[in-house]
Order: sequence, then C-alpha cells, then structure tokens
Amino acid sequence: MSEGRGGRTVLLVEDNEAIRNAFTILLEESGYRTLSAASGRAAIDTAERELPGLVILDLGLPDMNGLDVARHLRGNAATREMPILALTGRALEVDQEACMAAGCTGYLTKPIDTEQLLGVIESYLGARE
Amino acid sequence: MIELRLYLQGEGQDAERIRDLLSREGFRLMESSEDGSEARSVVGFDADLSSGSHREPLLRRIEELERTILELRNLDVAKSQFLTNVSHELRTPLTAIVTYGEILRDGLLGEVSPRQREAIESMINSCRQLLSMIEEILTYARTNARAITLQPTPFDLEEVVGHVYEMNASLIRQKNLHYRAEVGSGLPPVWADRDKVIHVLGNLIGNAIDFTPSEGGVHVTARRAPEDPRWVQVTVSDTGIGIDPEHHEMIFQEFAQVDASRARMHHGTGLGLAIARKFVQLHGGKIWVDSELGAGSRFSFTLPSVEAQETLGAA
Repeated sequence: MSEGRGGRTVLLVEDNEAIRNAFTILLEESGYRTLSAASGRAAIDTAERELPGLVILDLGLPDMNGLDVARHLRGNAATREMPILALTGRALEVDQEACMAAGCTGYLTKPIDTEQLLGVIESYLGARE
Repeated sequence: MIELRLYLQGEGQDAERIRDLLSREGFRLMESSEDGSEARSVVGFDADLSSGSHREPLLRRIEELERTILELRNLDVAKSQFLTNVSHELRTPLTAIVTYGEILRDGLLGEVSPRQREAIESMINSCRQLLSMIEEILTYARTNARAITLQPTPFDLEEVVGHVYEMNASLIRQKNLHYRAEVGSGLPPVWADRDKVIHVLGNLIGNAIDFTPSEGGVHVTARRAPEDPRWVQVTVSDTGIGIDPEHHEMIFQEFAQVDASRARMHHGTGLGLAIARKFVQLHGGKIWVDSELGAGSRFSFTLPSVEAQETLGAA
C-alpha cells in the first residue's frame, strides 16, 4: 500500500472514544473506510503512513493543538494536498480564519449534524457507494 | 499637615463596613449629605497623615486591600476557567449522544418504527437544547475571562436576518407563528462583527419564539436609528406574554430569570440577554426593551452603519 489508502478512506482524529466510535459507525455504514487516531501525534503518523483521502480533525486534542496538526500535514509534501475538515465548538471558540490559515480545507461546528457531515464528506470524496 | 478627604458612595452595607473599618483605624468620621442623593450613603473623613499613628495603619490597610483585589481578580479568572472546562467536559459526551441518536434515527443500524423514530427524535432535541445552554455558559465564561475583540466587516442586515430566520424556521413552523421581517430599503450596510450580530439576533428571535404562544406573531425590523441616522436600529417584537416594566433592567443581568415558573416553562440559562448586551455594547450600541405584561415585548438594539464608521474613522 505504498500509494496509501487514499480514495474513500477517512482518518478520524478525535480524543473522545464515544464520539470516535459514533463517527466510525456513521461513516462505515455510509460506505467509507475509516482509520482513527486519538491524539495529534497518532494523527500525523497515521496520515503520513496511510495517506487517507480525508482527515476529520477535532481541534481539541490532548497532546497538541489541532491547528498544529493541520500545519504539520501542510508542511509535508506527501500530505500537502490532503483535505482536512476541522471540527470544533461554536464559531467563537476558534476563529474560522485561523483555521483556514493553518491549512484546513473545511470547518464544521459541534454539535455536528450527521447529514451535514455526510454531505461535506461526499463533496470531498464523491458519492456514497 | 496633609488632609485626606474621602467620600464613599455605594450601598448602605458597604458604607457601614468601611465606616467600621475606619473607626477601628482611628479616623474621625463625618457624615455628609452634600450629595443630596437619598439613594446613596456617603461617608467622609479627615485624617492627619503627617502623624505616624494614622499613616501606618492606613498604608497597611491599603496594601491589604490591594492584595484582596488581586486575589479576587485571580479568583474571577479561575472561575471563568472552571466554567470553560466544565462546559467542555459536559459538551463532549452530549455530542456523542446526539451522534448515536442520529445514527439510530437514520436507520444506519437497522430499521426503526415511526414511534421509535419519534422517541429518538425527542431525545436528540433535548440533547441539542442542553448543548445550546452549555454553549451559552461557555460563551459567557469566555466573554468574562478575557477581553473579546470584535472583527467588524461591512455587511447587509437583510442577509443576516434571513440567516437567523433559517436557523429558527422549524420552531416557527412548529408553533405556527406569523413571522415577518422588514429591512428598510436603502439601509446602509452595518459595520459590525457578523458572528456576534447573529448571536444577538438569534437570542432575541429565540426568546420571541419561546415566549409567544402558538399562532402568535414575531416581527423583525431594521431601519435607521431615529436619534442618529448613521446608526441602524434592529427591533424584534412579539405578541407573547410580555415583561413587567419593573423587570426590564433585571433581565439583562447575568443569571436573571423573571421568575422560577417561567424558567421551568422556558428553558434557559439566564445568560442570553446578558451576552447580547455585552456584544451590543462592544459595538458602541445599546439594547433595551419596551414591554408590558400580556402585551408582547419589543427588544431593540443599535449598531453602527458604515456611515457611522466613516465618521468614527475620520475622528
């Protein structure tokens, strides 16, 4: 798998296990493959090794700022083009401009509406199978 | 001889405490009513600071008070930090519940009957209500923990009013309310922080929906402010239960709810209007209410238009 999983694989970066599992079920039942990471460090390692087609990145991680994860992925030639969808609390918490400046390609605020999330993922990865 | 004359203004109890304190420190106290205001209690004193017996205790006391003020400030920051942490911790599991609920509702884990679907939908709605209250506490803690800065841009209110309507459209339909919005033609764009204006308008329209019985009306207008046409005045009126004039000031204060029964009937943290007022004041505007019990409510706030901004910029 030297070319990476790409395509319809989504890397879920979320430190809360219940939310991570819920998103995993949601995406897998909707026809996507998923990988998951519970920390910033694990997210970077997994993204660089597996080259998923999309990263869904919770900005509140235990070990690093989510925006630093985005900057790191932007700085690496292999992951430079990888779409990154940031998830955070209300718009007041992290400003959207800072998010885009760090290299995120999209932005959703919690609580996530699952239909909206699937719509956005579809816009990145193409229609469900 | 140095004479120090200090007049203290404040609530009776505070003045009483300071009076006691100063007596203990050996100051000669004089009553004064020069101010003429009956609402305030005024305490004055003279002290000879050249004499060591007064100077030392006074300096010590000032130092103590300075320390107390610093401690209280730190405590306030710690309190806001605590609110932020707790809100975040509460929000995370709720987000998981909502997501699982939606997975079940949408039949991703197997078919659900219409009645099951209805039950799941109620669960999700309750969770979302709880989440929005937590968001409100979080916003409040943030606005207190540090100075929030505005990110003003010029934008048309018509689009923002439409956006806030969309956010509330399902609730308006559910209660079969008559909703009408009139944004004056030729109204200049406002110069404001769009997210914060959405927050304020969302709060006022949300309250109007909450406190108006089914079949009632909610009406939003935006026009030039009568007292200064370079400012824009937005008004949200409803035909709801109204607010007794004696509570008009109180409702803009933190954690205020007019009465407990109302709080039970209409969920809420009591922070919404306090946050709205903060956001409006940050723009240099004001927010107020005209209402009578049983006669509906009319909330208005003002924002600078780009014309006011040009004047401010030139000043």
